Amino acid sequence: MNSAQIEIQLIASLVAVACAIPGTFLVLRKMAMISDAISHSILPGIVIGFFITHDLNSPLLIVLAALTGIITVVLVEYIQKTGLVKEDTAIGLVFPALFSIGVIMIAKNANDVHLDVDAVLLGELAFAPFDRLIIAGTDIGPKALWIIGVILLITLTLLIAFFKELKVSTFDKGLATSLGFSPAIIHYGLMSVSSVTTVGAFDAVGAILVVALMIAPAAAAYLLTTNLKKMLVLSVVFGIFSAILGYWVAHWLDASIAGSITTVLGLLFLAVYLFAPNKGIIAVLYREKQQRTEVSLITFLLHLKNHSEVEERHVNHLREHINWQKVRAKKVLDLALKNNMIHIDNNVVSLTEKGETFTSKAIDYIITNEDAQIEDMKDDFFLFRG
Amino acid sequence: MEQKIAVKVDDLTVAYNYKPVLWDIDLEIPESVLMAIVGPNGAGKSTLIKSILGILNPIAGSISIYDKPYDKQRQLVAYVPQKGSVDWDFPTTALDVVMMGTYGSLGWIKRPGQKQKKAALEALEKVGMLPFKNRQISQLSGGQQQRIFLARALVQNASIYFMDEPFQGVDATTEIAIINILKELRKAGKTVIVVHHDLQTVPEYFDWVTFLNVKKIATGPVKDIFNDDNLTKTYGINYKVSIQE
Repeated sequence: MNSAQIEIQLIASLVAVACAIPGTFLVLRKMAMISDAISHSILPGIVIGFFITHDLNSPLLIVLAALTGIITVVLVEYIQKTGLVKEDTAIGLVFPALFSIGVIMIAKNANDVHLDVDAVLLGELAFAPFDRLIIAGTDIGPKALWIIGVILLITLTLLIAFFKELKVSTFDKGLATSLGFSPAIIHYGLMSVSSVTTVGAFDAVGAILVVALMIAPAAAAYLLTTNLKKMLVLSVVFGIFSAILGYWVAHWLDASIAGSITTVLGLLFLAVYLFAPNKGIIAVLYREKQQRTEVSLITFLLHLKNHSEVEERHVNHLREHINWQKVRAKKVLDLALKNNMIHIDNNVVSLTEKGETFTSKAIDYIITNEDAQIEDMKDDFFLFRG
Repeated sequence: MEQKIAVKVDDLTVAYNYKPVLWDIDLEIPESVLMAIVGPNGAGKSTLIKSILGILNPIAGSISIYDKPYDKQRQLVAYVPQKGSVDWDFPTTALDVVMMGTYGSLGWIKRPGQKQKKAALEALEKVGMLPFKNRQISQLSGGQQQRIFLARALVQNASIYFMDEPFQGVDATTEIAIINILKELRKAGKTVIVVHHDLQTVPEYFDWVTFLNVKKIATGPVKDIFNDDNLTKTYGINYKVSIQE
């Protein structure tokens, strides 16, 4: 690895972390689409800033772009508040308008400068190491690294200082207000951080990847944990992982770095979506199947409990009477046998003592919904896990 | 004996999109009562509470808590929002939600410590939810979620409690558990204000009642004003039969 490669990976990782933190809160606030809106509508801010300074890395650019980001949010909220259209429609109205203004400004005025729509949408991480920050004649590293580093530092400081406020206002706006933590301040604070991060990141990775870096790691982390701090840490880890792996994929394929990172993020989310232990789609399907079997089991046990007559408890009768398909009946019978709930003599099924207690307990639970009785049953049966 | 006034509402008018939801409300809630706010859907019951707590901005009127504006008296007030107002899939535990009740006394930036944790555990114990302290909140039943909300209000150790439909979607056991805690609070001199739907239980649960339907119809002790006349004025139909049952 040469130093340029290390620098690119470092920039990509810092961008990923800086995006993952506000992204986590955007996902929890169900505002993922806002990041998309911001990432596009900051364009006119960047263009105006560029016309004034002729420097893509000028702090004025960041300020102006962040300002257009905030204007986007305000406009979306204003349109939404009229009650005439819903939030998603408002977003869909605002950001293309602002973005197109930016596109026209570039086309009209910046044809011969290093600012074109492709660069804005996709960025070019590979060129980042060429643009150095030189202070008093000394080269102290790529400008992009410094910009995103400073933004990340600010984000981290704000996160640590206002973690409690962010959490309470995200979870329960009403409570936050009544406690005196103005959700409006926190909301616009988060929007400002998102805007500034988007601007800082977009030169390196482009407007589309910024959205992916904000949303995908957080969405994947959301499926894996039930703890906000862990969710933040996981988002950050996923972000860094995708940034570095994406870089090497691009290296091997000789493809766009931004494109590769986004692809890795997409695959990562897909993997989590499929295989997450509790919320993953496979786990959910398995649990549903298991619960169906267990409902059948309880129905079956209940039938046995209610009928002492031999003919009601004959295997063939059960198949007919409860009207299950053969396979399912066998599965339920096997499950009951395996758990020592029933025994079969001459094709007549009876409840064992364990089966009797289990059935009573389960019915009690279903009727009263009191959790205490079934705590010990939870390990064996999905049906009773919340 | 002259009772102190805990909450005073003067000429309160609130509108959504120019349509008044509350109209010229004057209300005095004395200290140490357990009060129900009743009225039909859309009568502005939740709006009244939210306006008192500064969550909504009224177009006219003023609110005072023990003779001072709400901003100065936040510490004296606890709020239990409607259960449906939050996302129960939020990645957090029961204990953590209860801890949020302590954030008000901490103020900005300061973090909760052992003292706050201890208070939260005690509140969980009081509502019978201690065994579930580490459970993710989506894994709790509706009644348990409501108890968590109640615990979060208890931990605020306030003088005045506002609760928005605490009995919505809870089982009978939880309803009794909650009302017993509310009665205890009143005995301890606290003021409890509850948006309530079930008219049948008003005389049994509450000692004070406010009838609301955009305008205030009546307010006072249940034994004096909870009658057919006010019910009819509030709901527009005769409730006689259902109440006498």
